[in-house]
Amino acid sequence: MTRLHPFTLLAIAAALPALAWILPAPAGGLAMAVVALALALTTGVFRTAVFTAAPFWLFLLLLHDIPTTVAIGLRITTMVSSFVWVVAALPPPRLVEAMVAAGWSASAAYVFAATLSAVPVLRARAGRIADAQRCRGLSPRGGPVQRLRALRALAMPLILSALHEVDERGLALETRRLVPGARRTPLAPPSDHAVERVTRWALAAACAAALAWRLR
Amino acid sequence: MTPTLRFDRVSFSYGAVQALSDVSFALDSGERVALLGRNGAGKSTLLRLVTGLARPRVGTVWVGDWDTRDATPDRLARRVGSVFQHADQQLFARTLEDDVAFGPRAIGLAPAEVASRVARALAALELGEHVREHPYDLPPALRKLAALAGALALEPALLVLDEPTAGLDRALRARVTRALLERSAAGAAVLVITHDLTFAAESLDRALVLDRGRLARDSSLPGLLGEGAGGGGALEALGLLPPPVASLSAALALPGRPIRAADAARALARVAGGESRHLD
Amino acid sequence: MTRLALERVTFRYPATEAPALLDVSLEVPGGEVVALVGSIGAGASTLLLVAADLAPRVVGGRLEGRVAFDGEGVRGIVLPTPWTQLSGMAFTVWDEVAFGPANLGLARDEITRRVDRAIARLGIEGLVSREPTTLSGGELQRVIIAGILAMQPGLLLLDEPTAELDPIGARSLWELVRALAREGTAILVATSDLDALPAVADRVAWLDRGRLQAIGSADLLGSEALVAASLGPTVANVWHGARLPSPYPVSVAQALQRWEQR
Repeated sequence: MTRLHPFTLLAIAAALPALAWILPAPAGGLAMAVVALALALTTGVFRTAVFTAAPFWLFLLLLHDIPTTVAIGLRITTMVSSFVWVVAALPPPRLVEAMVAAGWSASAAYVFAATLSAVPVLRARAGRIADAQRCRGLSPRGGPVQRLRALRALAMPLILSALHEVDERGLALETRRLVPGARRTPLAPPSDHAVERVTRWALAAACAAALAWRLR
Repeated sequence: MTPTLRFDRVSFSYGAVQALSDVSFALDSGERVALLGRNGAGKSTLLRLVTGLARPRVGTVWVGDWDTRDATPDRLARRVGSVFQHADQQLFARTLEDDVAFGPRAIGLAPAEVASRVARALAALELGEHVREHPYDLPPALRKLAALAGALALEPALLVLDEPTAGLDRALRARVTRALLERSAAGAAVLVITHDLTFAAESLDRALVLDRGRLARDSSLPGLLGEGAGGGGALEALGLLPPPVASLSAALALPGRPIRAADAARALARVAGGESRHLD
Repeated sequence: MTRLALERVTFRYPATEAPALLDVSLEVPGGEVVALVGSIGAGASTLLLVAADLAPRVVGGRLEGRVAFDGEGVRGIVLPTPWTQLSGMAFTVWDEVAFGPANLGLARDEITRRVDRAIARLGIEGLVSREPTTLSGGELQRVIIAGILAMQPGLLLLDEPTAELDPIGARSLWELVRALAREGTAILVATSDLDALPAVADRVAWLDRGRLQAIGSADLLGSEALVAASLGPTVANVWHGARLPSPYPVSVAQALQRWEQR
């Protein structure tokens, strides 16, 4: 499954929620939620999907009656599961390679990849900063005022140091020729089969057909 | 007397990876110790154990009479001042002065005491002219000193530093040396991870060497460097090279084999029949 | 013929009046290593940015004078902090090193050849499948340098390239710098590793508050003026401290020679 072409993975992740919303509730939502949760199961993120979707059910139940809760809940479950699945199934570098191979400019692909790769970098840095501030005596306990102060001592360095690096990062990218209009060589373009291309078109067609049927 | 820091048969692992095995040593008040070893030898892990960011699986880490298992890092900050690598990333206050005051305030000192400790720390590193500047307006090397000032301002019984001189030029390294000598004269114990053996020779006098998580050596620093300069290969096996002063002393057979520039200059002057001058 | 030439270069950063470089003229021919020494703020980093065509083009600011680079290959600069130089687009070390060559649009087998060679020259074969963000400072510094070498620069600009390396690692890097010069690369390096320079630098340029104060062979490091400015190698410093006559020896080997001829 994860060896599919990145665009196919994205198409599936987009088509499932689309169909869940378009097809009549609750059957449509149920079918798509089952598929999405099954996909999540195959990549080992079933629990994440369920735990992320659960709070939505709680809120819906507080606001609506049972049928509405089930109808919307299944659709949201489909969205959440599809998203969680595609994040787990699609490593960013493969997506970037696919984008470059499909003719996107290197800079556009970069913005996309950098956004994804920034998360672990920032998380690691936040951990280092938290460690450093605790060793400077910052206590994670106390009342709301103390906690707010503590948050400031963690958030400000994270933002400042990241902003400060932007200039140097720009210079580094420039010297390595990430410049507008550069024709980047894709290093390992993911293989794309005719079957997959057909599948993608079929998914788009299915969504369009479902929409036409519902609007008729 | 209770040692400032004592490792008692400490082992630590990250999952299945054994980072430290059965490490024991003690640091007394005023001692200045280099923590040496290759990448991955366990130096940073040892520092995390001292600051309470990690707790030993086996054995005990004592900071004075506190078992680090019973103390959080913020409580240990009353006794341990630390500077990690990339310490410049921790700065955030509007002025250098304010940032250096963060630690003393966080451990609950009175404003007057905070002010005098901050002033002393900034003076020790000769940062007086920058007190009102934003930390991020300073060049990276001075930001590094700013982080060190933050640790000095805690006036802790124990200072632990990870590569404090990386990216500093000689003049700034000399400032760090002077500050450490001053703190140790006032009774603080100092533990420094460094691969800058010239700095280590000028600032420190004892060496702990870690090798794959084990304490391979605990000896005097001049002894270790002298051996290395004699061509023993003991240093090279650790990824280290004898610093130039040690090599010079060995090459010219200077009496006492000095490892500090000022001592070597004195020895050289004596052999040459003259008088040395003061060196920074 | 590869050659970097700066003619009477004055440079001011945006929104500043005081020049960061003042009337600097300097030439670096292919095959030569020129070292920039100076205290913090002397202008060495700025000079490298100007030579790399990043200042004022990307940085902004105003430039007077002329900067010219003739020769084959790109201009590559290695900046001082390795972690800000990661591409953010590579999820293995191999891809990180390949980032520049791929952006040059080279053929894939040419990229592979260059990347493998750069990786071998930096001795980081063991890291190729690691994720760059998990590397230590020293490992990262080597990866970044490999990434620039894989672009095959005709002019290589290095800003404190050994700051994160241990002494053995630093020694290997300086040997690599010499090897690159032998192959015809023009190299300009700013470093505070003064003890390494006698074996590395063909010429030493002393910058002070944006001005080029002196330029000469590595023996310049043993002059009274540089030692007084805290820019002499350790051996020269000891010689100075012992009140032995200047110019001072700059390396242990030179010191031994002087001592025996005394």
